[in-house]
Parts: sequence; C-alpha cells; structure tokens
Amino acid sequence: MALLDALPSPQMAWRQWRPNSVLVVLLSVMLVALWLFDVVSVSPNRIVSGQGAGLVEAMGWLGALLVSGVTITLMLLSLQPGRQNYQVALVGVCLLLLLMPFGLIVASDRLVSSDMPQARLNMGMAYWLMLSLLLLCWIELRLRLALPRRWTVLMLLGVALVWWLCAMWALEALALGQEFRARNDEFWRALRQHITLVSVSVAISIGLGLSLAMLMRRYANFQKVAFGVLNFLQTIPSIALFGLMLGPLAWLAAQWPLLSRLGVSGIGWAPALLALVAYSLLPMVRNTYIALEQVSPETLEAARGMGMRNSQRFWQVRLPLALPVLLEGIRITSVQAIGLTAVAALIGAGGLGAFIFQGLGQAAMDMVLLGALPILILALIADAGLGALSDILRPKNTVRPGDAQ
Amino acid sequence: MSHDALSRSLTARGVQQAKWPAIWLVLLMACVWGFPYADGLLRIIEPDSSQVVYQRASLATLLVQHMLVVSAAAVITVVGGVLAAIVVTREWGRNFLPLVSQVASLGQTFPPVAVLALAVPALGFGTLPIIVALVLYGTLPIVRNTLGGLQDVDKEVKSASVAMGMTSWQTLRQVELPLAAPVILAGIRTSITINISTAAIGATVGASNLGDPIIAGIVNGNMAYIVQGALTIALLALTVDSLFERLQERLRSRLYTA
Amino acid sequence: MIELAHVTKRFDDAVAVDDISLHIAKGKFCALVGTSGCGKSTTLRMINRLIEHSEGDILLDGQPIAAYDPVKLRRRIGYVIQHTGLFPHWTVARNIGLVPRLLKWSAAEVQAKVDELMGLLGLPKDEFAHKYPHQLSGGQAQRVGVARALAADPDILLMDEPFGALDPITREKLQDELARLQAKMHKTVVFVTHDMDEALRLADHLVVMREGRIVQQGTPLALLQHPQDSFVESLLGGLERGLKQAALTRVKDHMAPMGPTLPAQSRIPATFSLRQGLSMMLRDHTDRLTVVDQHDVPVGELTLRKIVKEAQPEQGKARES
Repeated sequence: MALLDALPSPQMAWRQWRPNSVLVVLLSVMLVALWLFDVVSVSPNRIVSGQGAGLVEAMGWLGALLVSGVTITLMLLSLQPGRQNYQVALVGVCLLLLLMPFGLIVASDRLVSSDMPQARLNMGMAYWLMLSLLLLCWIELRLRLALPRRWTVLMLLGVALVWWLCAMWALEALALGQEFRARNDEFWRALRQHITLVSVSVAISIGLGLSLAMLMRRYANFQKVAFGVLNFLQTIPSIALFGLMLGPLAWLAAQWPLLSRLGVSGIGWAPALLALVAYSLLPMVRNTYIALEQVSPETLEAARGMGMRNSQRFWQVRLPLALPVLLEGIRITSVQAIGLTAVAALIGAGGLGAFIFQGLGQAAMDMVLLGALPILILALIADAGLGALSDILRPKNTVRPGDAQ
Repeated sequence: MSHDALSRSLTARGVQQAKWPAIWLVLLMACVWGFPYADGLLRIIEPDSSQVVYQRASLATLLVQHMLVVSAAAVITVVGGVLAAIVVTREWGRNFLPLVSQVASLGQTFPPVAVLALAVPALGFGTLPIIVALVLYGTLPIVRNTLGGLQDVDKEVKSASVAMGMTSWQTLRQVELPLAAPVILAGIRTSITINISTAAIGATVGASNLGDPIIAGIVNGNMAYIVQGALTIALLALTVDSLFERLQERLRSRLYTA
Repeated sequence: MIELAHVTKRFDDAVAVDDISLHIAKGKFCALVGTSGCGKSTTLRMINRLIEHSEGDILLDGQPIAAYDPVKLRRRIGYVIQHTGLFPHWTVARNIGLVPRLLKWSAAEVQAKVDELMGLLGLPKDEFAHKYPHQLSGGQAQRVGVARALAADPDILLMDEPFGALDPITREKLQDELARLQAKMHKTVVFVTHDMDEALRLADHLVVMREGRIVQQGTPLALLQHPQDSFVESLLGGLERGLKQAALTRVKDHMAPMGPTLPAQSRIPATFSLRQGLSMMLRDHTDRLTVVDQHDVPVGELTLRKIVKEAQPEQGKARES
C-alpha cells in the first residue's frame, strides 16, 4: 500500500506523456503518401507522359522496408520528445534527405533499361511530398532544438552537395538533370541575367529610396503624395506594369538613337528594370522612412546635447541605429525582385523566368522546374543571407549603442 | 509614434475620401464597356496594327472569370488560413504553432510565379492549378496576420476574460477575434490584392482571364491589347483594395470610438 | 469560507508555492504580502483555478475546488488585476455587465446592476457609460475593473495588486474607497500586494510570504508587535515599525482622563490615529495633547509618557508576569 502510494497517479502519468504530435502527423502523412502514390515515373522520351511506379516497384522490398523502417523509428522517437531524442531524430531526417537521391539511383537502375537512351526518370507525387514533409520535419526539429543559423546552413549545404553530386555523376536518366545538361550554357546565362537584373534594380532602389525617404522627412506634403503614388504603383499587377513599359520605351528609343544604341528598346532589360525599380520603391522607401524615424528621440537629443552637428548626428547616430530596419527593407525588396524578374521574362528580359514560360508553352514540365526551382532557391538564399546580416548588425547596435560610432 | 504617423498618412487617402471605391468601380466599368467602342482612342497608342480592340473574348467575360478564380481562392484561403491560425493558438493545437508560424513567414519568400509554375506539373493546365497556386500563396499572409493578431491580444485581457468565467469559445468569439480583426483583415487584403495580379499570370498556363489580353499583346507586340488588360486589372485591384481600406476604417472606428 | 491546506504548486521542477495552509473566514479581508516572485499571485490564481494546484486541498465553502466547474466557479468569484484587463473594444457599461450577461441575466437586470455599481464607485453614468477603456485615466479604469468584479454579487473577491500601477494619491483614494465598500458589503477578499502600507491599512488578516512559503500570518497589529524574523521586520518597515503600529491605533485607546493640570493647547480628535498624535506633538513641541470629541469638547488627554509605556502592551504584560 505504501509503495503504491509512492507511485504517481495514472492521471499525472498521462499528463507527463506529451508526444510531439507535429512530427507524428508529418511522418504518418509521409508514410501513407509513400505507399499510396507514385514515387517516380518513367517516360520513354521528353514529350510522352510517364508510367508511374510505386514504392516497392521503384525501390524493391528491401528499399521500401528500409525507408518505412527509418520513418517509423522517427515516429517512435517523437512519441517521447526530449533533447536527446530530437537530436537523434534530426540525424535521422538528414539521413533520409541524404538517401533520397540514392533512392532515385536505385529506381533508375531498376526501371530504366539501357536500351532506351531517351528514357527519363521523373520524380513522382510521393517523392515531392516526402521531400517537402522531410523539410518541414527538419524545420520543426530545428525550432525545437533552437539550433543556431550557421549550423542549419551548414547541414543544408551538406545535403545539397550530396544531391548535386548524385545528380551530376550517377543520375543520367533524371529528367531534370537531362534538361539541365541540354541547356547548360543557357542556364548559367539566364541565372547571370536574373541576378544582374535583381541586383541592379535593388541597388537603384536603395539609392532612390534613401533619397526619397530623406526628402519625405523634410517635406511632409511630399511624403503624402509620394506614398500615395507608390501605393498606387504597387496595386498595378506586375504583368501589366511590365507590359505597359513596352510602348513608352519603344517610343523613346525611336526618338533618341543614342538610347537604342545603348540597348534601350520596348522589350528587353530596359522596361524590365524600370518596372522592377517602380515595384521595389514602396517597400524600400517605407522601410527606410520607418527606420530613420524610429530612432529614439532621447538618443538624438543626447547626441545634440553632446554637441554633435546635424551631419554628425545623421551619419554617426541615426543611420547606424536605423541600419537593421533598413536591411529588412532591402531583404523584402530583394526577395520580391527575384520573383518579379521571373515575370520580366515575358517582355524578353531573359532570366530564369524564360525557362518557366518556354516550358509552359511547350508543355515541358522539366523545363518549368528548371526555371522555378532555382528562383525559389535564390529567393530563400537572399532571404536567409540578408536576414543573417541584419541579425549580425542588430545586437551590436541595440545592446551598446555607443559602439555604433 | 512614427509608425502611427506613417500609417495615418498611408491611410489618409481612404479616410478623407470615402468615395474612392465608387470612383474606381465606375472607372472599371467604363473600361470594360468602353474599350470595344474606343477604337479611335486605342489607335493612337498602336497606329500600325490592323486590330486594336481585343476581340477574342469580351472584357466583361474575362473580368467575371478573373473575379471567380480570385474569389474561389479567397474563400478557401480565408476560411483555411483563419481556421489554421486559430487551431494552432488553442491549447490543444499549440504543438503546431512554431512550425506553422515559421512556414507562414518562410512562405512569403516564395515567388508567386514559381509557386504557379510548380503547381502546373502537379495539376496540369487550366483553372485548377491557378486556384491551387493562389490558395497556396494567399493562405500565408492570412495565417501570418491572424497569428500575429491573436498573439498581440493583450495577455491581461485574455487572462481577465478567463478569470471572469468566459468559456474558451466565448473568449475567442467575443474577445480575441474582435480585437485581432483589423490585423486579420489587413492580411486578407494583402492576400486578395496580390492574388488579383497573380491570377493574371495564370493566363500563361491556359486559364482565360484578364491576363489574356496582356499576354496576347506581349506576344503580338500590340500595345493596345496590353493597355486594355493592364488598365482593367489595375482598376479591379484598386477597387478591391480601396474597398478593403474602407472596411478597415469602418472596423477600426467601430472598435475604438464612442 | 476559503481554506488552503498544505497546498503546493510546481511548475515543471520549480516549486512556486510550497506547502501553505491558510484559513480565511467569511467577510474577512486577507492580504498576501511579499516580494515579487514569492508565490502570492500564484496562490491567488489557484483559488479561481486559473492555475491548478499540484498538491494539497483548496476548499471553498467546505467543497474542494476540483468539485466545481472552473467556468462557473470563476463567474462566482470577482477578480481584479493590476492592469485592469478591461476589454478595449467594449464600452465601460458593457465591460461592467460582462459576468451578469455570462450568467444570462435579463437585459434590464444587467442594466440596473451596471447603473448601481457605477453610482457606487463614483463613475457618473452619463459621463462614463459609453466611454472606452483607453479614454479613462488609470484610477477610473481600475474603478471600472472593481465594478466589473462586483457585478454578479460574488461572495469572494480576488484582487491581484489592483492599485500597483497608480500614482500615490489616486492609490490612496482608491484604498479608502475599497475600505468603505468592504465595510458596507463584507465580501471575503483576498488581496495581493507588495506594498506593506496598503496591506496594513486594508487587511484584517495579514499573510507574509517568501519563496513560496508563508513566513508569518496574523492580524496586522500582531505582526507589527511580534515580527517573526528580520525578513518580516524589514518588510514591515524596520525602524518605522513603531510609527506604522501607531498608525493602526486610535487616539481614544490611549487617552487618559482629564488630569488636574490645565488642558494642553493642542487638540486632537479622538478618532485620529496615534501616529497623527505623535506627529502633532513633534510639530507643536509638546508632550501633551487634549483629546476632543466630534463637537470639539475635551474628553481626555494624550501624553507621550503614556503612549511610550503602552506602546507594546503585550510585551509589557509578558514582562510583568
């Protein structure tokens, strides 16, 4: 009796047991998807649609059981959450991510016969679902473990490297890889164009945005009008704005031959750049303005009390303190510009969007992917990179404001 | 303070001139019904083309189709997004909160074109992939804002409502949702205005809507087509946007003034 | 009325409240005092089940609180917090009528109750009924907070540092009004504060807490006279303790009959506190005051000698015996 009393009551025990329902749900969905949907599909050539293959068909019983086994182990781990189990689960998720390209190699070995050189291996519904669910699991574990940013970047880079090596050396049959190899030069040129357009337009809007924000701080009336106009510009759909740039620029180029010799014309980079800058201005100006205005009046008052001149106050106090928010504006603008540049392909500005629209036109989905995936990755890199930069700048500025001088 | 001043100046347009939605709507209608008869006007823009009035479909039909697609997506996104955010802020769904809020903010970085392009291989051409892409893309600002709005409700107020003996449903209905409403509405506004312009890109994947004249204009080098499509979409976006602005004003004044 | 027996609260591994026992009789005003983080708010919030206790028993009217439905329980207990927690999107009147409406009173009943409470708390109906919380001053908002807590006529009132965020003058005014209300309504009040003066002024029963435990409890006077240790003593004001005790004693309890000598020049009403008497002696450079009744008629005299001698009557008694 005395011993029984010492035991925790069953109700208490139930309360203590809190499985991580997020991981359990994600992993169950993944398991069901793997067994239910096509993992890969094989098409004899680029145009003909593929023949789907399930998990067992693609990987054999051994592979299927291996994947399911690892998944179920992860689920068991997440039933008893704790730092150690999360760490093990993170390793497991990374392992699965690393194994995924090898799964494709196995599948291509089993399904693509060597007498069909044109045959292509496509990643199926289950494969994409598995990839995205694993990434979600990875984010969840990262959050639970509160891992620092550089660790996670290193891990993802490692996984990406393995994927890249597999795609380059061992996966001739993968459709995306074939598409890439067929357009190697074209791809790199498009990527260069894309990045150039984005960086030039962001650079211009930083300069313009900063000047506009300064003017706004001086003239209240100008501020109202400028925000009104910029808001208006933002509501015009991107595709329409790009289109509307065609006419005026064509006309300008026709009027001044010098401009056309510089490459300005109704289509191409010039109208794209103009539209991109027009779009980038609102987030840029808004954040710059807020950044400069949010510096605490006490700090500025103190700076004045110390005998700093107006220009000293601006360059040594206001600007450094405003920098994190300003960078936030650059981040938003850059991410938005990366997406918008894709649309610019419609008016002949090139860039990765060209693959998307060409691919859509030819019903060649691999080509669409070739354009869309790098755009997505570019956007994520810009987001993470600039986010990290403003993280680095923030503590120095907010913890010890004096250091900013 | 500066945020306040800024938001005031940003919304000043809507406060002082409550008539904007009506003005944009009239202009929109004028465009839709007027362009077919504006042959002479359009010829000024595009003197060389044989045809300047877009005739493959009437602008009115395209407008209706455009609005149908956007509204279908909007209904799904609003219901889904708000529900999802409510679920993960309840006690029993809180496990999902970190992941959902992380994904909602991460998802903002996905370019709409890329999302649209990725939806096509999975769903094929036509209206369905557009609706899916719009739903995917449009849900995120709503989830993010609903989360933000619900989490920003003063902890003291929430705890007071529990302490006064309100059930969790009453707290949600009478306290949390009304207080979060302006922020949620702002999210819905962002989501729908972005979707109006993103839907136009749908014309490239075979949906027929107001993006059609633009694509046709770009392909044929016909500025007049582009102007018809672009102006109509812009006016549609402005009408909806200014309507939301009015709604936000109404809500704010109903919440906080005697 | 409220009974806590060996109550413990653990948050994960940290013990917030450690084996406390407390009895609060019906109609009594009990103040929980202590430095921040001593578990006094946690104790309060366990009573209306905002926090569930881990061990021990909490009884309300002899019933364990686990037996009550938490929602219904909370509707029967008034609750006032420091930052009022008023609903910013509701008018003052609607805020006050919250619990009656939850209890499904008729609209007329709710209206009558709201009007009554607004009158009771000095909030003129025409001026305040349709205002929103952000249009009120701190003191006004807290009056609304108290009115909301009283709206459904609860027997028990829980107050968590209700006046902590107010300026000293407003705070004192509201303390007076609370004392006046309590004299009229006789609620069972549990009042959390870190302001010892406030506690001494309002409470019938004083509970000093430290690191989750009750260090000492008793009437304010008992604590002032026999602080258990240096912690309680410093909380009670250290060297100022004598004056604080004097503030709790009426002049008439220490007054001597009129002596044979001429009455002193300085006069003090019998209802004033001893502390005020001492202050008056210091001001007027005298060791004698004439005590007068409400009609300014001399009824006795107050001498420094007598006050000093009687300052610690129980200790004095202990020495004698």
